[in-house]
Amino acid sequence: MDQAFTDTLRPHLRYLAPGQELRPEDRLRDLGLNSMQAIDLVFDLEDNCGVTLPDDQLTDANFETAGSLWEAVQHARSAVVDAR
Amino acid sequence: MRALGPALAERLEPVLGTVERHAAECDEKAAFPTQGLTAMRSSGLLGLLVPARYGGLGGTVPDLLAVSQLIARQDMSAAMVFAMHGQQVAALVHHASEELRERVLPRVARGDLYLGSVTTEAGKGGHLLSSGTATRREGDLIELDRMAPIVTGGAHADAYLITALAPGATSEGQVSLVYAERDQLDVQVLGGWDPMGMRGTHSVPMRFTGAVPHDQVVGAPGDFRRVTVDVFAPLAHLGWSACWLGTAAGALSRTLRLLRSPEERRRRDLKSELLLTRLSRARQRIDTVQAMLSHTADVYGTLSERERGGAPWQLLVNALKVTASEQCPAAVEELVELVGLRHGYLRNQPLALERALRDLRSASLNYGNDRLHLANGSLSLLDQETTLV
Repeated sequence: MDQAFTDTLRPHLRYLAPGQELRPEDRLRDLGLNSMQAIDLVFDLEDNCGVTLPDDQLTDANFETAGSLWEAVQHARSAVVDAR
Repeated sequence: MRALGPALAERLEPVLGTVERHAAECDEKAAFPTQGLTAMRSSGLLGLLVPARYGGLGGTVPDLLAVSQLIARQDMSAAMVFAMHGQQVAALVHHASEELRERVLPRVARGDLYLGSVTTEAGKGGHLLSSGTATRREGDLIELDRMAPIVTGGAHADAYLITALAPGATSEGQVSLVYAERDQLDVQVLGGWDPMGMRGTHSVPMRFTGAVPHDQVVGAPGDFRRVTVDVFAPLAHLGWSACWLGTAAGALSRTLRLLRSPEERRRRDLKSELLLTRLSRARQRIDTVQAMLSHTADVYGTLSERERGGAPWQLLVNALKVTASEQCPAAVEELVELVGLRHGYLRNQPLALERALRDLRSASLNYGNDRLHLANGSLSLLDQETTLV
């Protein structure tokens, strides 16, 4: 997980203490992400990380942990590269 | 609705591209989607419902509905043209004589025959099962002189299924369905087409004069009612509902893409409770129609011909039509309120909501809801048990 990704996530995780490290296995819901906020996170990922998650990747499973979301982001990036 | 298989999706792709490119122009000029029809011909999709033994794609009714819905996301008129052609094909497949099927269906499958429907008649208010047009038997021929006030795509069809009284009919209900090719009759277009919406269907008044061989009657002479109950009415309501659903779903999808674009996100508050509620309502209406359409199509596939004549089925399929014709325009209304004047009301905007709304305004009138409610009221009285299918 790169810095831009964790920096983008952090404001959406109100139970992640300042200075506390975000680990791939951390469950995003436990850290305060709810489904109403998920769309805001998707927009921030588009704006800050330049990656658009396709509709079929916006699943509960991909929003389960920081690591699963990171994988979906990486997958979307490589799909864009492949398409080029 | 079941997703389209990859082979059909591949055939459909160029059709969708063509229809999308010409939709605004066909609407502007109230012109038939000629390029779209050409793409349908070469895609093989005109033969979607033709069984493989006649060279067709051997598709199912759910396939027809899925394709119609997807075309309607770009252009409701082109989708109506496609769906109604499918309705004619299904009537031939299930009720034409084997000899007629062998003559006609391979050409439909090759894309050579686009079939028009001639069921409207002045003075009967859209009633399908009666006719005031007499015909005469002359040897092996049936002579007819038929005026129809509204024939969808009639000026462009290669052949027609025409309703008229059977020769020697003693009541207005003894209606036959007759297959006729364009070059078998004198075919005249009597006027133009300048409606509020569905402008691309180019549904013109026409006159058909001449004689066709008696063996081109589809189903038994005078027994169009059987074809109607088994195929014509169900596929009309299912097919139209799929078109309306596609138009509403396309409108919602375009609206969501706009709202989610970076520029629009900066301009609007996507947390607005009014915006979220309106999106929810639009989606709810669309999912309601989708659920009902999908269920009704499933039930249709499981019923015997005898059961299709029963009240529970007819109540369901009529209710589908009424529900879809109310909920699909209501969903687009919701979107117009949401995006406002510029994106929602001006002509030739990328969202095309204005066109979708004009097109969908026809839905309640296309076989009138008032008439269907009267039918369903009577059918309800026939079904004291209230059997739900």
